[in-house]
This record gives sequence, C-alpha cells and structure tokens, in this order.
Amino acid sequence: MGSGSWSTNVYDAAERYRSASGASAFAYSDRVKHTSPRSGWTAHPSLDPHGLTTRESRDSAEHPTSLAISVLFDVTGSMGSVPRVLQTKLPELFGLLLRKGYTEHPQILFGGVGDATCDRVPLQLGQFESDNRMDEQLGNILLEGGGGGQMTESYELALYAMARHTSLDCHEKRGRRGYLFLIGDEMPYGKVKAREIRGVLGDRVQRDIPLPEILAELRRKFHVFYILPTGAAHAGNTEVLTLWRRLLGQNVIELDDLDAVCETIALTVGLGEEAIDLAEGLADLAEVGSTAGPSVARALSTLAR
Amino acid sequence: MHTAVVDLGYGDAGKGAVVARLCQERTVTAVVRFNGGPQAAHNVVTADGRHHTFAQFGAGTLHGTPTHLSRFMCVDPLALAAEADHLRALGVPAPYALLTVDRDARLVTPYHAAANRLRERARGADRHGSCGMGVGETAAYALAHPDDAPTAGDCASRPRLLRKLRLLRDRLTDDLGPLAAPPVEDCAAAFGAFADAVALTDETHLRRLVRGGPLVFEGAQGVLLDEWHGFHPHTTWSTTTFAHADTLLAEAGAPGPARRIGVVRTYTVRHGPGPHVTEEPELAAALPEPHNGHGRWQGAFRVGHFDAVAHAYAVEVCGGVDALALTHLDAPPRCPALRICHGYAIGGQLVERLPVGAPGDLDRQAALTRRLLGAHPAVWSTPDHWPTAVGALLGAPVVMESHGPARQVLTGATVG
Repeated sequence: MGSGSWSTNVYDAAERYRSASGASAFAYSDRVKHTSPRSGWTAHPSLDPHGLTTRESRDSAEHPTSLAISVLFDVTGSMGSVPRVLQTKLPELFGLLLRKGYTEHPQILFGGVGDATCDRVPLQLGQFESDNRMDEQLGNILLEGGGGGQMTESYELALYAMARHTSLDCHEKRGRRGYLFLIGDEMPYGKVKAREIRGVLGDRVQRDIPLPEILAELRRKFHVFYILPTGAAHAGNTEVLTLWRRLLGQNVIELDDLDAVCETIALTVGLGEEAIDLAEGLADLAEVGSTAGPSVARALSTLAR
Repeated sequence: MHTAVVDLGYGDAGKGAVVARLCQERTVTAVVRFNGGPQAAHNVVTADGRHHTFAQFGAGTLHGTPTHLSRFMCVDPLALAAEADHLRALGVPAPYALLTVDRDARLVTPYHAAANRLRERARGADRHGSCGMGVGETAAYALAHPDDAPTAGDCASRPRLLRKLRLLRDRLTDDLGPLAAPPVEDCAAAFGAFADAVALTDETHLRRLVRGGPLVFEGAQGVLLDEWHGFHPHTTWSTTTFAHADTLLAEAGAPGPARRIGVVRTYTVRHGPGPHVTEEPELAAALPEPHNGHGRWQGAFRVGHFDAVAHAYAVEVCGGVDALALTHLDAPPRCPALRICHGYAIGGQLVERLPVGAPGDLDRQAALTRRLLGAHPAVWSTPDHWPTAVGALLGAPVVMESHGPARQVLTGATVG
C-alpha cells in the first residue's frame, strides 16, 4: 500500500488554505467590505481614478518593445467571480503570451467598472505592469457587488478614462495599438456625462460626450474587445449583444465558459499580433494543459475568419 | 485516445513516473484519479531533480496538467493542503487552480483516521497493513450510512457539514470510545476553506473533459490489493482494477475504451503484511528504497523477486491489459541475483496459475490467501532481456521502460 506522507493537521490546513485562498488575494476588498458600511467604501489609493493624470505603458531597457494590454471588468454582482478567475489564472495568461511568443513584452493594466449612478466606486484603474505587481493590483480591487437590475454599467466612463488618460509607447513610438478588453454582461450608457467625469475623475469637462465619439478616440490607441460570458446574468441577451455589436462589430466575443477568459485574452492578442492562427493557438492551449480549448475555439471563431 | 494506468502488483511499481511521462509526451487534457485517496504515494522525480510524492494531485502536476478527483475518490482536504504547499514550493504557482473535485467524492476526516488507528491497534499482531489515514474507515462508513457520509460538496455548506461531522464523530465514538481528533467546528472551518480554494464540480465536468482531449486515468495502489480480488484480508477498501475508470468513461459518454497500461517493477515489492511469495530479505539491502520506509501503521517495505504468477493473476482479474510499463530496469544490472518466479510449490504441488473467482466471495479469497502463505517459489528463470521476458509472461508488449527515478523511455510507437 502507498504511504501518504502529507500532514493532516487541521489547524495547519486551515491556515494553509487561508494563505492560498482567493479571499486573501482580494484582501483589500474583503477588509473594506467587512469593516465599513457601504457608504464608506472607497477605491484603494493605487486604483482610485480621482485626479488621474496618465496611466503609462512605457518601453524600458528591460522591455524595449512594450505592448499595452488592459483588462477592465464589471465588479458588480453577477460578474464578481471574473477577477477571482483572473487572479488564479494570471500566471497562465502571462505564460502563454510570453512563452509562446505572442508578444515579447506585455504590460497589463487591470481595472474595475461599476455604475456611476448608484455605486460607491464606479471606476478603478491600475497601472500597466510587466511583472507580478499586476497581482498586487488585482488584490487591491474592490469587488463592490450589488448592482444588477438596470442592465447598464458605466463602461463609457472607463472608455473615457482609457482614451484621455493613457499614454502608450507601443502606439506613440511604433504606431501599434494596444489591446483593451472589457468583460461584462451589461450595456454602457449612451454618453459620458460631464457631471460624472467631474465627480469620479475630477476633470473639468463642461459637455457630455456621446459614446461613439469617445469610442472613436479610444480606438486610435487600442483594439477594443468586449467579452460577454454567456454564463452571466444577461448572457445571450440580444439587446446587450446587439448594442455592443453595433459599437464594436466583430470584436464582441461571446464566451460560454468564464474560466476560459485568460486563454481567450491570450489568443486574441496572439491573433491580433499575427503571431498565430486560431489552430496554432488552440494547439498551444492543449500543450500547456488547458481545458479551455473548445470554449475558446467557439468564442474566437468569428475573429479568426 | 484515453489511457488508464494501474499497478499490477501491491502498489509502489511506479505509476507516478509513468503518468508523469505520459503527461510530458502528450497533449493530455487532465489526469483523472479514479480510486483510493490520500494514502496514495506516487513518487515523481523530474529531469531537473525536483521530487514530489503525489497523493491527491495527479502525477502530471509538475507538467502543468490539471487533475480531476472523481466521485470514486476519498478526499482528505487536510492532507491536500500540505501537498499543495509542497507543490508551490516546487514552482507550481497555483496548485488549487489545477484541481477539480467531484462533489460526490467522499471526505476523509480526522474522525475516520482516529477510528482507523484505534481499530488497527486493537488487531494487535493481525494487522491488515492499513496506512492509518482513515481511508478504509471512510469507505466503510459510507457503505453503512450512505446518506450521512460527508462528501466534498458538503464542505460548501457549513450547516450541513457540521451536522454530518457531528453525527459521524458521535457514531464512531459510540463504537470505539473517545477519538483523538479536533473539534467539529475546527474541522468545518478547514473544510470550508478547502471548498473556497478548489473548484467543486458535478457530473457534467467529466463529460466536458472527455470531449476536451485525451485523459490519463491514474490508478492508486495495486490490483493485488483489490478489495474483491486481492488476498483477503490484506486488501484495501477500494477497487484497484480498471473498473472505475471504465465506469467513468462510460458515464461521460466517451467513445471506445481506454488504452489499458499495467505497471510492474523488475522486482516485486509489498508495503505491509500479507502474502509475498517471492520475498527475499537479502534483496532489500541491494535495492534500497529512497521514498518508501517502514510505515508506522503499515509496517515493513518488503522486497522480492519478480512474481510472474501473482502479476499474471492481476492481469487476468482486471480483464487484460493492452500494454505494459516496466520500471526499475536499472535494478537487474545492479543486482544480478534478480530472477523471475514462474511457479509456486504449494503443499507438494506445482502451481503456475492462480484461479480467478467471481468478485464478492471473500471466503474464497481468504482461502487463497491461506494457500499463498504456505507457498514457496519453485520455478525460476533469469531473463536475457527483461522487457521481452515480462511481456511474454504477462501477454502484452512493454511500451515504456523506466531506468531509475528520473529516466523513463517510451519504447512502443503505440503510446503517444
């Protein structure tokens, strides 16, 4: 018979799970939500967009050809598990991008999107990072929860911030656009409201900006994708899909397995950088032991054409 | 094509190395564990020298292959946490992200382990060779109280878990007296943390995995310890043949059977008491065992010559194998005394084949055990080429040869 040699101490185990669990990875969120009333919730200082100057993706001696990749996700109720999945799969996303040579020097920014009309923390934006500081940022995101009902979130405010408050070397020096992924299951509001820009970011803006206008600005810098997980609350909702398709065309990705979100992002970048075709990307996924292949294949079939 | 790997001996033949090798070679979607529990000890040494004793994680983990613990597994969340920590120390960044657990898998608790030790101690000199971790106790309790036995899925519901743990502790205490185990609330806290850390799945998960690509079914223990076909009572509370792997594949709607690989060493080992006809204590000095020691609850690690009679019996009870993996091929050159035993002398008669009975007849198995305890090796050979000789005796080609802990060689074009 075999001889398992692993300790079965109940107290060790509890501590081990605590130190490895998703809960402690989002320590800021857990602490804020357990220690203060909803009215007192604020974004972590490192992610607070108020007074935001510029989020920069810069080349360096170590990373001479940076490529900006932004991942902004809905942090309200139905989508609360997205950041936790991202956190556990971050090494895989990075591993795929780097080891498979999809791009040499990715710099990743994470952000959270809520609803400026009712949430305490409608927008959170990290920095572009090329190492495990990304992990820390993810850990500082406040997962507000709640939300739901009205089928709209303030994506437009996030798009505004990314259009007006980022500076990318890949774009400015080399004329290559970065990548921006929005992950959510709801619709944006039709315009960026000046009042909300002033309140959330502190910019002195006098007029509302129509959504198509800010999107056009943003798309000069970024390839913009919207990922709609079909397990989410409004999954397959034709109104949500139709609106995003009208805005982004084929860059709307329907994903039937939320766990496959990292792989989907990696392959989308690989396809965009023309490092792979879809078949090669799927072979790479299989090689690294990912089970996401079939879901990713379905999600990206339209992009790959 | 899916592959299932079982040990044709008493365990410790080298399933871990074989599974790890398959995960390195092929685009394996996941390793599925289909029997046993935390008492498994599948040692894997990588080419860069990292060593891990896999117990609940699949032996492909160091290659990044995910593991699924099927409903036939007994899961010990406490031991799992320690194993995960060691994997992290070996450079697996997020071991829990590589693990899925069927909600119906039985939970091994400290109460089962405490009861197991009390019972084994009460047996005195007639010990069964249990590992003292409570896996048999878990299986026994689940048979006696199918609705009350805690499962992995229960860990996600504290009230339900508390109710089942209290009932379990109280019943075992009534039987055996006070158990040396922590309070129920403390267990529930650790088990709840387990449920938060790993993905608990239902039966649809295996269906998805099966469609996703080739799977490797990693067996635990060995066919000669099988609960129905082993040498009773020195067996395990687990079906160690391919039966559960076949069942899972059928439930998942997989087309066609899996390739069945049987694993044997160039010499036969047994950890703990029970028949071991070819045992030769002098071999133990020539063939030291780096990863298997004298177990406190299990007893000695016993080494003997290659027992073709017992292994052929194992092949027969599990319905045949498609291929063999022969491990420890570095041993014959180091230890030229190693031989193959083809026949036993039992009560003055030559026995070259052990009769296979229908599963479930433990009296018959106990009678077989008594005969084996009086058996002596009678017919020997020393092979020129071990893989050819073993393949001929067990009726299947050797497709994988392993020489030493970190060197496994695929020899057959049929694997891969």
